[in-house]
Amino acid sequence: MRRGTLQILAALLATASVDGAEPLPPAMNRPVDFIRDVQPILSKHCYSCHGEKKQKAGLRLDQRPDALLAKILKPGHSDASRLIVLVAGADPDARMPPDGAPLSRQQVGLLRAWIDQGATWPTTDGDHWSLRPLIASPIPLSGSAAVANPIDAFILAKSKEKGLTPSPIADRRTLIRRLTFNLHGLPPTPQEINAFVADPAPNAYERLVERLLASPHYGERWARHWMDIAHFAETHGHDQDAVRENAWPYRDYLIRALNADKLYARFVQDQIAGDALFPEDSAAVAALGFLAAGPWDESSQKDIRDDTVDKLQAQYIDRDDMITTVFSAIASTSVHCARCHDHKFDPISQKEYYGLQAVFAGVERANRAYDPDARVARLRRELQQRRADIVAGRFDIVAQQTIVTNWEKGARLMRWKTLAASATARESTVEPRGDGSFFFTGTRPEKDTYTFVATTVSAITAIRLEVLTDPSLPHHGPGRQDNGNLHLSEVRVRIGDGTGKPISIVSAFADFNQAGWDITRAIDGNPATAWGIYPEVGKAHEAVFVLKETLPTGTRVTIELDQLHGGGHLIGRARLSATGDANPMLNASPLPQTVTAILNVAADKRTPEQNKELTKHVMLTRLDAEIAALPKPEMVYAAASDFDTLGSFKPPKGPRPVFMLKRGEVSKPGEAATPAALTMVKGPSPTIKDAASEAQRRAALALWLTGPDNGLVWRSIVNRVWHYHFGRGIVNTPNDFGRMGAAPTHPELLDWLAVWFRDRGGSLKDLHRLIVTSRTYQQVSADQPEQSRLDTDNGYLWRMNRERLDAESVRDAVLSVSGTIDTTMGGPSARHFTLSPGVHVTPVVDYQKFDLDSPGARRRSVYRFIFRTLPDPFYEALDCPDASQFTPVRAGSVTALQALALLNDRFTVRYAEHFAARLERESKDRNAQISRAYERALGRTPSDAEAKRLADFATRYGLPSACRLLFNCNEFLFVD
Amino acid sequence: MNMLTRRQALHQLGGGFGGLALVHLLATDAAADGPRPEFNGGLHHPAKVRRVIQLFMNGGASQMDLFDYKPELFKRHGQKFDPGDGTKVEAVTSVPGNVMKPPFEFKQHGGCGRWVSSVFPNIARHVDDIAFLMAVRSKTNVHGPASYLMNTGFVLPGFPCMGAWLSYGLGRLTDNLPTFVVLPDPRGLPYNAQGNFSAGFLPVLHQGTIIRPTSPTPIADLRPPESAKYITPASEADGRDVLRAMNREHADRHPGDNRLDARISAYELAARMQLAAPEALDLSCEAAGVRNLYGLDDPVTATFARQCLTARRLTERGVRFVQIWSGAGGPSKNWDNHSNIKTELPAIAASTDRPIAALLADLKQRGMMDDTLVLWNTEFGRHPFSQGADGRDHNGQTSVQWMAGAGIKGGVAHGESDEWSWKATKGNDVHDLHATVLHLLGIDHEKLTFKHNGTNRRLTDVHGHVIREALA
Repeated sequence: MRRGTLQILAALLATASVDGAEPLPPAMNRPVDFIRDVQPILSKHCYSCHGEKKQKAGLRLDQRPDALLAKILKPGHSDASRLIVLVAGADPDARMPPDGAPLSRQQVGLLRAWIDQGATWPTTDGDHWSLRPLIASPIPLSGSAAVANPIDAFILAKSKEKGLTPSPIADRRTLIRRLTFNLHGLPPTPQEINAFVADPAPNAYERLVERLLASPHYGERWARHWMDIAHFAETHGHDQDAVRENAWPYRDYLIRALNADKLYARFVQDQIAGDALFPEDSAAVAALGFLAAGPWDESSQKDIRDDTVDKLQAQYIDRDDMITTVFSAIASTSVHCARCHDHKFDPISQKEYYGLQAVFAGVERANRAYDPDARVARLRRELQQRRADIVAGRFDIVAQQTIVTNWEKGARLMRWKTLAASATARESTVEPRGDGSFFFTGTRPEKDTYTFVATTVSAITAIRLEVLTDPSLPHHGPGRQDNGNLHLSEVRVRIGDGTGKPISIVSAFADFNQAGWDITRAIDGNPATAWGIYPEVGKAHEAVFVLKETLPTGTRVTIELDQLHGGGHLIGRARLSATGDANPMLNASPLPQTVTAILNVAADKRTPEQNKELTKHVMLTRLDAEIAALPKPEMVYAAASDFDTLGSFKPPKGPRPVFMLKRGEVSKPGEAATPAALTMVKGPSPTIKDAASEAQRRAALALWLTGPDNGLVWRSIVNRVWHYHFGRGIVNTPNDFGRMGAAPTHPELLDWLAVWFRDRGGSLKDLHRLIVTSRTYQQVSADQPEQSRLDTDNGYLWRMNRERLDAESVRDAVLSVSGTIDTTMGGPSARHFTLSPGVHVTPVVDYQKFDLDSPGARRRSVYRFIFRTLPDPFYEALDCPDASQFTPVRAGSVTALQALALLNDRFTVRYAEHFAARLERESKDRNAQISRAYERALGRTPSDAEAKRLADFATRYGLPSACRLLFNCNEFLFVD
Repeated sequence: MNMLTRRQALHQLGGGFGGLALVHLLATDAAADGPRPEFNGGLHHPAKVRRVIQLFMNGGASQMDLFDYKPELFKRHGQKFDPGDGTKVEAVTSVPGNVMKPPFEFKQHGGCGRWVSSVFPNIARHVDDIAFLMAVRSKTNVHGPASYLMNTGFVLPGFPCMGAWLSYGLGRLTDNLPTFVVLPDPRGLPYNAQGNFSAGFLPVLHQGTIIRPTSPTPIADLRPPESAKYITPASEADGRDVLRAMNREHADRHPGDNRLDARISAYELAARMQLAAPEALDLSCEAAGVRNLYGLDDPVTATFARQCLTARRLTERGVRFVQIWSGAGGPSKNWDNHSNIKTELPAIAASTDRPIAALLADLKQRGMMDDTLVLWNTEFGRHPFSQGADGRDHNGQTSVQWMAGAGIKGGVAHGESDEWSWKATKGNDVHDLHATVLHLLGIDHEKLTFKHNGTNRRLTDVHGHVIREALA
């Protein structure tokens, strides 16, 4: 039976005391937090009638019900609070919730405890530490010698409060090892250690810091951190884990940007919308690899049918990953929690979440062409702008008159002579037709290669292929596929009968190109790509191939047409001709039928429209030749709005429509979403100049994120940098600054750093410098039991943290110590495995068969190729995370399997041998070898007893065995 | 951080020492958040199950050709498929064809009268020990996301799989072998490759350890490479002593950091694992009757028999979770029978039928069924209509999964699909299956959580109900 609103209201507001009712469940005896403990109960049991959508009895519990608060709650007196009476079922006439399961005794106990403890009901906006406006905290006054810079003042103030005292400064040997691993991910060499230890200069440490920050190894080390945050890898993940051949330019962008100390705001802007914001900085297009760094579901995106629910779902999920990447990495905010419902703990609505989906609705992950050379990029942009103008008819016809007249003379001179060829086909039957063409027939094979042989009767510079219609072909052809299409994979021209010297084709033109299947794909040497003419079937088409060299009269020439796409995409009828035109690049491009028709009209009889059409054609021909002459663009796997169609994966052509999905289900679309950012961040909202432009949507978000008022973003980055220096952030959840994340240990310091960093322009190197020159950073890491008792995990930094090397540093240290490291920077990644085709898309990867002495084996770990679903077991043993997940913090585990990997992996064993060989080259004396081994691996000389023990071992079992032990000892793996 | 709190220690060391052993090692507080002896090793309530063998049929086993008998398909064979409710009929890789009857004979088996097709003559003999989930829905019709869902509860990469969750939640039963072992099909890894065995955001030590029993190196890095001839048993023994001394001195110079002590112990454990693992994988000591039971010497069943028998030996020795894969990713030699149900399905099914039946019988005979759970899973079902002439396309709307062993009510068939076996009518989600498995292991699936990127994550996401109907 449903009750009327008034009845419920009356019940709700009735006095709390009820006679003869069951006793209330007891209040829980523990501190209760509204957000953590109470809100989930209200959300689950009350919001459906007292939430955003419905407010029965005028009561809304998803925000603080100020007007009614006093009526339902008596802070400090849960037994007298109406809310408790109702949910405990203590009033026989009114129970909440009226339908469904009642609250458990524990839940009621929690609510009671909350009320008894004062019923604190925080408003959801703004009062959370990470959402407060950024204001520089005053630097605490100390006057202590333990203060080298403001960081120490903040740390010291908090330590004093907690009764902790700072630890002494570490010795120089410890400091240089700590700093070199921290800034470079490499050990210092014995020479570097000795030079620093002996340096008499008072600013020796500062000079060391400068040297390390100036080295390109700095960018390599810190780019690797950002790659964790971006969940970068070079394969798709999922069941079709294909290789991304062009992912690496993003990694190189990161290294370059960090080494150049790109200011942080710009660094972020580049990665979200550099293409839109800084078109002149063309190399930075590679930064958009950030948005594409995560996994991609190839089978759902490319292989399944277009109109399926699975396809739509894959698109939403893919955008979810982009949003999560941006907001976890840059704003330390868990927006992804608002996909199915409003965020349970942070003020982020589901509507805002879908607003962010709309920001990225016009991009996909794909290979994107770009010109790293800014001049080429500018030229290409200009030419393309001119092309667009011409296509739109924005040109001066009179100014072009002479050019057109001259071109027409050339075109008229252009003589295509049919090649008197013979034709054969590997599979099909060939029937010559009287007009010099050949008809290809018989049972249609999947694939075929046609071969034409002819002897030139004049010098030739270009060859023309006409594909012709025939009534017997599907849709009249010119192709033999059911839809009339054809796919020409490769064209080859050779001197002689097919085994002779190949003649390069420098360019190719066609009168029509199917989208993603243009004629250049027939000369790219890649049999997987091809020229196609769909949907322009039922019409003849032609393609012209310009030869690199002129073939003289009487040359025997073989022309092969590979058609290897499969599915019977074959040419039905073809004719070859040749020309000797001296400038075929300009003159030989096939004429569209409209232009041929115009040329057949005498010049003085043409209409103005015909003249304009002809001029347009000539201008476009000339322009296209110019564009074709530009250096080939590079490719990067990045966010892209325009790219080649792959199966059913197509460019979005403008932002796709995005809807608010009820419970996150694509089958339940709600209202259309419009691009927006988060209202919980105070300050101006993003301004989108043109919402129809997907690039403007991203640009607006990038500018909004990096605005001076966005406290989340500035706090996020200083905390991350802090985390990688100390092994622990001021906020220990670097990806989550929300209510469910950790609270800062030093909130004043965090805000001071954020303001300092922002106001100095956002130089990361400045921030490193400040942190590592603090006294706090230079403390020893030794434990002090009496201080440990007060602060077990050193949250207040009364000492430095001892860190286990991460996987990359272990491997790079082994390479460095053994003297084999290859410090080549950049370029395609080193594959530390053998690769062979798998049964399906995912290849077979074997880390055991890889030649450990091949050149790529010795490059720094940041350059290694990361396979998502086939990870390297050595790195995994050392806590290298699943590359499909965001990893703001690396684990530092200790396991038996890890011990086995360090002992027995081919890599450590082989490089222990290299290390031994190096030591033997340097000295024949066993004691000198052992001493040197300690210096290189551990940064110190051994004691006599240590030296004797390892020397004896080396003498019994060989120096490589001794080196293997050094790579396994704690002193090698931990940095003090 | 150089001090490990107990909680961190459990997370970080669990794979190296694990649950109960760790408590002894670190001699810290009581196992407040670890397995509880009074719950038989469960976390939140008494556990019925202590170890699990999961048989994973990669590719989407065709439910209506194996267990979900639908007379309607025989009646309407060849007719246009029309569910009659106006729902759009779609198939992900093909155009829906006509209704296709199973090309196999169905019979009722056991006391419970469960229908099983002629494809599984041996498994059919065990139906009274099996609880069938007759209608389990996926959220997708695509292998990658569906395999992730069945393994991790999410359709995306990067989440921990069930074995990893159990390793994290319950720790290990032995120090000598890994907690979570995966036995891939020797012909290749499944869809998603190792993504299916990932620890996701859990500490990496909880991920599945791959064992390839027929490979020269069944466990990666268990032994030094063959090429290093100078590494001998003597050098290994002496090397361990020298390393222990070096690490001991270092730890003494750096007191108060139990990670340093833990690493010293880790090398001792590694040495024990080097001895224990080859023994566990050596099938030569198994009696001829056992070999014959599994079909170890029959070329049709040899491969899967070896996996099943190895799984029994591993669980017997304290491995917590063994996952066995049938079928590699790719277009053939798995359960993804797009082209021809009549020829492709019996071939792959026959390779598993006898070994699975043997495993059930063997576990029972040894009394291991009292605390072992056997799961038979696949990522989704297939369509009642044809793909091409004789195949079937992916169908996420219903599938059959089964469970046997400790805590399971045998002979049960829970859930129901429609008259076509096209859609679940009274069905379960994959999350229900996960919730039920965790329940049997003494875990409340809503309480086993891990905080990652701002969210308390669970194996069951925000879903899941324990399927009480399948429980004894």
